[in-house]
Amino acid sequence: MHDKKTLKASEMFAMVTMLVGMKLTDTTATLYAQKSQNAFWVMPIISFLVILPSFLLLLFLLKKYQDKNLVELLESILGSVMGKLLGFFIFISSFLLIGLDSRSHIEQIKLLYFPASPNTVIFFLLLCIVFLGAKKGFEVIGFASKISLPFVKISVLILAILIMGEVVWQRIFPIFGSGLTIVLTEGVLKGSIFSEFFLLTIAYTSLRKTADFRIGALFGAFFVLFEIVFFFFVYTTVFDYNSIEKISFPFHDLTQFVSLGDYFTNIETFFMVFWLLAGFLRFIIYIYLLTWIFGAIFNISEFEPLLLPLSFITLVIGMIPDNSVVNETVYRDTLLNYVTPLYVIFPILLWGVALARGDLKKQ
Amino acid sequence: MKNFCKIIFIFILFILLTGCYDKAELEQQSYVIAIGLDKGEKEGTFSFTFQIANPEVGSTLSAGSDEEAEETISITGNDIVTATNTANSFVTKRIVLDQTKVIVVSEELARSEDFLRVIQSASRTPQIRRGVEMIVSKEKASDFLNNNDPKMEQRPHKYYQYMLNRAKQTGIIPEADLHRFFQITEGDADLFLAIYATTEKAETEDTGTEDEYIAGQIPQEGGNVTQFMGSAVFKEGMLIDIIDGQETRICNTLDKTMGMEELLSTYPDPIAPKYRISADYSQKEEPVIDVSYNKKTNHAKISVTVSFNLEILAIPSMIDYAQNEKNQKILRKSIEKNLENKTKELIQISQEEYGSDPFYWSLYIRKFFKDIPAYEKGDWNKKIFPNAEIDVNFVLKRLDFGKMLNDSNLNDVRD
Repeated sequence: MHDKKTLKASEMFAMVTMLVGMKLTDTTATLYAQKSQNAFWVMPIISFLVILPSFLLLLFLLKKYQDKNLVELLESILGSVMGKLLGFFIFISSFLLIGLDSRSHIEQIKLLYFPASPNTVIFFLLLCIVFLGAKKGFEVIGFASKISLPFVKISVLILAILIMGEVVWQRIFPIFGSGLTIVLTEGVLKGSIFSEFFLLTIAYTSLRKTADFRIGALFGAFFVLFEIVFFFFVYTTVFDYNSIEKISFPFHDLTQFVSLGDYFTNIETFFMVFWLLAGFLRFIIYIYLLTWIFGAIFNISEFEPLLLPLSFITLVIGMIPDNSVVNETVYRDTLLNYVTPLYVIFPILLWGVALARGDLKKQ
Repeated sequence: MKNFCKIIFIFILFILLTGCYDKAELEQQSYVIAIGLDKGEKEGTFSFTFQIANPEVGSTLSAGSDEEAEETISITGNDIVTATNTANSFVTKRIVLDQTKVIVVSEELARSEDFLRVIQSASRTPQIRRGVEMIVSKEKASDFLNNNDPKMEQRPHKYYQYMLNRAKQTGIIPEADLHRFFQITEGDADLFLAIYATTEKAETEDTGTEDEYIAGQIPQEGGNVTQFMGSAVFKEGMLIDIIDGQETRICNTLDKTMGMEELLSTYPDPIAPKYRISADYSQKEEPVIDVSYNKKTNHAKISVTVSFNLEILAIPSMIDYAQNEKNQKILRKSIEKNLENKTKELIQISQEEYGSDPFYWSLYIRKFFKDIPAYEKGDWNKKIFPNAEIDVNFVLKRLDFGKMLNDSNLNDVRD
């Protein structure tokens, strides 16, 4: 199915940015801020540092075992059964996360732009689009991300420029927020906000060259980190610590707040268009990768027909929480904490086993 | 056939464009521009006043329409959003708050504890933006909105926008959007300044200066009866005092988060005290606020340096300040001294009476604490600021005299 293999590092970069970069607009900021108050803008750095060694290790292993993707790698190192089991864990944890993430995305759309529409309808429409988009296949998704990336990022940049007048940098003090230990532990626990990096490795062999994957993924990862930290910094300095905890969607509060001179006031719809576009792409990539992993685990090579049932199950999971507050502060918070160790440890485990088996000495 | 099907499909998609549930017809909505908040008759209820704009007025299409530019209605209720619903018993269209520009609060409500309750509920709805400005009116907010009768800018949204923008540029009113209100109130360290306005005339005392008024005191003839001047001081979400235009200007100069563009003001003439000198005050740099903090004694020393430029506009006494260096020196000294004294007075009031500062200076002390629990324990507004040692310095960087080198010599003219 992926015999064309036309994607290059730039598409990879775009996909990473779309998939993870959207985190700056959703409730991740609030989730962080509730724990560490005005020091939350440094937390992504901590989370990233926790995840990075494991991710690099995984990339290293993928390089060693050439021509294998994530699940094949798991199987060849751990054996068929254990490999599939671990793969299934990864799938389940990410699948639950996507359910809650998409719910939070729906809540934003509903609360801000379509207050009268029922959740289920918006959810259904979102997943329809996601399904149709994902059906187009990996190449199209990659190109679509690459084409829309500049627009999305420029719109975000415009927002950043417009809000600059409101930034009061002294608000980052007291520098350790609610306390150094809290910032560190929460930062470590929330390492899983970057867990999407690992999902992308299922596509390791589907790019033109595997080197393209590594370059794109690493550049993308650092770019995303920079972007998230920068925007969290803006949130801290614009809202201050007491207000940021109470705001569910800081990004949208900013778009409602800014104006372009006296004439263009209330311009949030301009940002909404690009935000929606990025949101669609994010979930398209997300669902596609998950279905791919699912297919790989159960040896289903024609996995694309599975997109529909998986989209539907996403909807069901997303509808479980009663309201957005519970969704955020209870389910998503807990899940993110539980998932982190899995992603931190499994590459190390793989590496250990590979080392013990002496696989790494070859070549 | 396949193409035909595609085209049909695309046309079906157009139906989606209308939106199903959230379809909103412009014609079927009433846009509220100003919301007035008053105390209700019963405890815990409030009276809401909505000033609704008529979009027909002022557009070129509606030449000849003699509908009013706005409609003002009042209704009692529990919170703003449900009140809009009740109001539909006599307002024809759906009331939307998206376009709200100002919230007017009566002084009576602002002084009570209930104020924070009602304003908090306003921030919960996504309809009300953070950019909405807060005005405190001396009279009931409903009276204020009913009496306000702009002659030139009849469309209310433009009226508030231009009126507030211009008044803010001159510094006689503070920047007072909801965003700032919540930050300062929730930050629980500083004082928030809201715009003070009224439509009622108070007794005017002619102070001889141009900015020592609060709204209502400005001797005015003709024009709209509404005056915006001075600010209402909020401590912990409750109004505690009103300060005049001059004090508001001082707050604006000392607060780096406030923007002020130009400030035409007068200063006493040091050589001929009968007269006052008019000058254009401008401040190119932010004030330098240097805080040194002693952790053990929880004591802070704050030294404030404001550098500013001045362009002299009028010297009614006709004394030669421009070319006589000795006179110029006296003038420089006297203006700096004058500003310093006024600022010190205000600082003294805020230290002794208010127990907190309206300048947002808690920003500068924050870097001395390593985390928020320590910072909150230090307690800026109860312990640090009221006991702080504050030193104010105004430095006149440049003194300009406009395009005239010298005034005409009165004696020569009269000769």
